[in-house]
Amino acid sequence: MATEKQIFNQINSTKNISKITASMKMVSAAKLKGDETRLAAAIPFNAWANKMSSEPKEVEDATFDELPEKTLIVPFTSDKGLCGGVNSFITRATKSIIAQVESQGKTADVVIVGDKGRAQLNRTHASKIVRTATEVVSPGTFALASALASELFAIGAEDYDAIVIVYNSYVNAAVYKQMYKVITPFAIATEDGGSLPSYDFDSDKPESMGDLFEFMLASQIFHSFMDGAASEQSSRMTAMENASKNAAEMIDSLTLQYNRARQARITTELIEIISGASALDE
Amino acid sequence: MFSRSIAQKVLPRSLTRAFSSEAPSTITLNFSVPYESIYNGASVFQVIIPGVEGEYGVTPNHVPYVAQMKPGVLQILHEEGLSDSEKYFVAGGYALTHEDSVTDVVCPEAVKLDDIDPSAVQSQFEAAKKAFAAADSGTIEQAEAQIDMDVNRAMGVAIGINLS
Repeated sequence: MATEKQIFNQINSTKNISKITASMKMVSAAKLKGDETRLAAAIPFNAWANKMSSEPKEVEDATFDELPEKTLIVPFTSDKGLCGGVNSFITRATKSIIAQVESQGKTADVVIVGDKGRAQLNRTHASKIVRTATEVVSPGTFALASALASELFAIGAEDYDAIVIVYNSYVNAAVYKQMYKVITPFAIATEDGGSLPSYDFDSDKPESMGDLFEFMLASQIFHSFMDGAASEQSSRMTAMENASKNAAEMIDSLTLQYNRARQARITTELIEIISGASALDE
Repeated sequence: MFSRSIAQKVLPRSLTRAFSSEAPSTITLNFSVPYESIYNGASVFQVIIPGVEGEYGVTPNHVPYVAQMKPGVLQILHEEGLSDSEKYFVAGGYALTHEDSVTDVVCPEAVKLDDIDPSAVQSQFEAAKKAFAAADSGTIEQAEAQIDMDVNRAMGVAIGINLS
């Protein structure tokens, strides 16, 4: 049972924390508005890329059978914390993809975007991490996505059979889902499969396929980044709201304790005075 | 009776195409830059695209086609027979025409021709020319200055001033 003074200090520090979490929640709500607008523009910008490769799929209950021999996994996490479960879900999804892929006898490497993901994956899968990208500052622009795509190519992205982007997809302010996209390089070919048999191209040069692939990768990264940023802001908003609510409950119960302690002290003082006075009366 | 009803449901797709009288008379245009969707699902009659291998026009029922765009002018003709088309300057990107006449034009940056400031284009071109001369041959700076010059020169051509 803490003393009155200690409870008083605890109440004050909790009040300060609740002020911080409340203001963080408002800041996140404001930033979320901006992120939602950017995402709304990024979705039609990237719509063609989903027609060219395949639609993003949900990570939950996925078997990842369709992944080829050598995959490069690119999970999108955040640098800052206090954002709820966004990063844990992504690292969990990445670990499950690696486990599934290895159980099928294939290999996977990881390029992590975001410090939080790096910290979490480094503990168990440090050998798989090829590259980390931190301080990828939000809000992202297409230039940022292009830079990320160039980085991926610099480490040899075209040697992999597929690039898998794992990210959180923003559904609404309360809900986000983990999704993954499989992006395979094109081949100008008459074969079926991941290439584009039904399209004519303006140029038969192999570089133009490579250029298109680079542009598509940059576009997909841009969309995933926008989606992940909106999810992160909404998750941070929810986390801070819960923290503020918990802090308020804590302050209420601590205040009750404080009042009880204060009344007990006053009662003790009264008893001392009265018994002292009655002793004198005798 | 059973087999007839099933047969009626399972017409092969190619046959239904031939029987349909509804050929699209417009193309559906999706024209986007990363921060804005300029046209989303708009019905237009024709789009003229500045491909790297040459300009080409997309009309309804065009074959599926993928082209890289060079910095140049994208012209959108909203209705057949209009004399004036809406002109945008695009700084590269890709144009993809799919089946059923849906055309996606995506570029990192696009601006309406009317919004281009000729004096700004002139000064940007001069600055790029200086940078090109100052850069060492074969470096990234020289390549970037070259691209800068080319884009500004193309913008100049689009709005009718000659830069060299």
